[in-house]
Amino acid sequence: MTYDIAKTFVLGGALSMAALSVQAESFNWASTTDPQTMDPHAVNSAPVLSFLNNIYEGLVRRGQDMSIEPSLATSWEPLEGENGWRFNLREGVTFQDGAAFTSADVMFSYERASNEAADVRSWFAPVTEVRVVDDYTIDFATNAPNPLFPSSIANFMILDSDWATANDAALPARDAENYATLNVNGTGPFMVASRDPGVKTVLTPHAGWWDAATHNVTEATFAPIGNAATGLAALLSGDIDFIQPIPLQDVDQVESRDGFNVLEGEETRVIMFGFGHEHDTLLYSTDVTDVNPFQDPRVRLAAAHAIDLASIDRVLFRGKIEGASQLVPAGISGFSEANSDRPAYDPDRAKELLAEAGYPDGFSFGLKCTNDRYINDEALCRAAASMFAAVGLNAELSTGPVRDYWTQLREDDFDMYLLGWSPGTFDMEHPIRFLLHSQDDEAKLGSWNFGNYSNARVDELLPLVQQEIDPAARQAMIDEIVAITQEEVAYIPLYTQPLIWAAKENIDLTQRADNFFMLRWVTVN
Amino acid sequence: MLAVAFLAFSLFRFVGDPITQMTGVETSVEDQERLREELGLNDPFAFQFARFTGDMLNGDFGFSYRTRQPVAEMIATRIPATLELGFVALLISLFVGIPTGVYTALRPRGVATQAMLMLTLIGVSIPTFVIGIMLIFFFGVQLGWLPTFGRGGTVNAWGWETSFLTVDGWRALILPAITLGVYQLTLTMRLVRAEMMEVMQSDYIRFATARGVPMRRIYFKHALANTMVPVITIIGLQFGGVIAFSIVTESVFQWPGMGLLFLESIRFVDIPVMGVYLVVIAFFFVLVNLIVDLLYVVIDPRLRIRDVS
Repeated sequence: MTYDIAKTFVLGGALSMAALSVQAESFNWASTTDPQTMDPHAVNSAPVLSFLNNIYEGLVRRGQDMSIEPSLATSWEPLEGENGWRFNLREGVTFQDGAAFTSADVMFSYERASNEAADVRSWFAPVTEVRVVDDYTIDFATNAPNPLFPSSIANFMILDSDWATANDAALPARDAENYATLNVNGTGPFMVASRDPGVKTVLTPHAGWWDAATHNVTEATFAPIGNAATGLAALLSGDIDFIQPIPLQDVDQVESRDGFNVLEGEETRVIMFGFGHEHDTLLYSTDVTDVNPFQDPRVRLAAAHAIDLASIDRVLFRGKIEGASQLVPAGISGFSEANSDRPAYDPDRAKELLAEAGYPDGFSFGLKCTNDRYINDEALCRAAASMFAAVGLNAELSTGPVRDYWTQLREDDFDMYLLGWSPGTFDMEHPIRFLLHSQDDEAKLGSWNFGNYSNARVDELLPLVQQEIDPAARQAMIDEIVAITQEEVAYIPLYTQPLIWAAKENIDLTQRADNFFMLRWVTVN
Repeated sequence: MLAVAFLAFSLFRFVGDPITQMTGVETSVEDQERLREELGLNDPFAFQFARFTGDMLNGDFGFSYRTRQPVAEMIATRIPATLELGFVALLISLFVGIPTGVYTALRPRGVATQAMLMLTLIGVSIPTFVIGIMLIFFFGVQLGWLPTFGRGGTVNAWGWETSFLTVDGWRALILPAITLGVYQLTLTMRLVRAEMMEVMQSDYIRFATARGVPMRRIYFKHALANTMVPVITIIGLQFGGVIAFSIVTESVFQWPGMGLLFLESIRFVDIPVMGVYLVVIAFFFVLVNLIVDLLYVVIDPRLRIRDVS
């Protein structure tokens, strides 16, 4: 204990006298879920990765506007004579226990994160070989040209190989816990001072951090608060300084009081309806039982025209949503500007289309939705069901918790379903790979394409998009894919989910579009 | 307890799929299947249940799917919070419920009695979470006197994480304990009142009054003692319920007890934790019933006499 204090003091003093003169600023924040583990490779989920990004770092990181910037690697360039990338590593970086960071740690972390026991191994699917060139240079060879690779590993966090090996944590914990489940040793700006899982976690600045600290937090305490009303009360009473997220209906409550700010933004998650493209019949219809009308693109387009998004926005979302034309929102790389119109609300056109397709009186079908996954998901589906009914599409709505939702979708137990998708790599290629490519378990493609939408041209274009280096040529191919899938109404993209945080007025922070909260951008005034 | 384990275990099959909760969206179907196989989720139901009970009998409570921590340790660290909360709630209900019960029985037509009866009627009809939220907003947000969530400062006394030793801990305990205790309080008061009124009609009280025994002595020694037997039965049984159903209160106050752990586990389909929790709760019920039976002997002299003869 004494040793730790002495070391912190010496390091802090040596690095910057200014840091010592800043007065102590403690910061308390809350979110709905506790990170399940402190192991950066064990679980690929937003609460875990968001939290650990304050403690561990990757070769690259995302800036406030989501752009990729150097982190533990100072630069990277394509390999010569083969496919892949060379990363030049930063010198003089130390882990929180004082050990030096070298390419051996990157190699070790790669092996750990790509192991079967790791949940993040899919990031390394294109990697064929990793080679240490010298202490500060490492090569990642890939099976094909992969321009996206550096940005796809922004959440690949580096552990100290000696620390992990010495503490028996060389692999992520699969069933039993191990040392890295509760303890950390990263290179990042904060370290864990204490952790009581599910109750609270206290972070303190890492005095030996390589980058200049722009925050003024001296101690940060995180507490999970599952109940939204309790979280709001905690903020309003001053027990916490910041909470993410708050429910839409509480925005007025917070704004009406002095001393609080509501931060509103757009998440990158697009909410959409999907169809059972390969189902030959409807499962939940009372009148059409021999065919699946949704296999006809005219019927799918009719459903799209039936949705009155402006009313949904006004009534359910208080004007805070942005309509979506494709599976990613504008601003994400690969967004197709050429195809940014979404089907207008036009019930007459919808009825015409249905009549053309042979259903002048409409038909009934089952609509499946979650009730605890997305903001206002159940209310959205109720509204949509009545809008569908207005043109003759009688939706039999069934809603349920997300914990068995995916299983039902995987078992093809739906006629139409609700889905929200956030592009993990912040590129259009991500939803094409997971939602638009035909299901292919072998190649691990189309794994969330529950209805198995399938178009030979889209399947053909995906690998080309993944490998194309020239941005214009790449965008042309993406434009083609988006045009095809809009033409065929593969999905009905509805809107981008709003992102609402709330903080005390004296807190400056940055709301990033991936809903990650970075302590290093916090200023307590 | 075996029955509870069996019921619980057969219900878990309908709770959801733990695998989709354990893995990220990008995890391939193949990796998910491998994990399912490793965890033994593909095994037949009877086999899974036998393994679960067998492990439990051996003292092996397994590991959480969600956090990978040992379940025994997770539950053990949460037990003090729930027991302390339940205990303070019980004390509140007794120390407020019994005197008011006696008072309302003795002055059945008083204005204060009518007011108390009204209040308790309201108390018993408002759902627990509404009471909790109202208390939070009044004392936490508007007045700012008490913390809105969590346990505050706790002290580790011989491995038992307690709130009783710090001011902060007591402050955090007040609102949740009241919330949890309101229903108990109402029940205690009404029960004591009904029993007391009945006892006051009985012959021995009349004789005692006729003999000129001081009224205080009649009320608190003779009448109240006879009132307590059925009251303790009901309160005791209710206490098991308080421990088991503190879930709502714990969720509203983010109180880190077993109930909150159980809720989180349901959300993540953390089957090992849910299974052990339900068995532990069943154990508490059995234990509380046993204690109630033993208390009879202390309170009711007739049971002791029969023992001797």
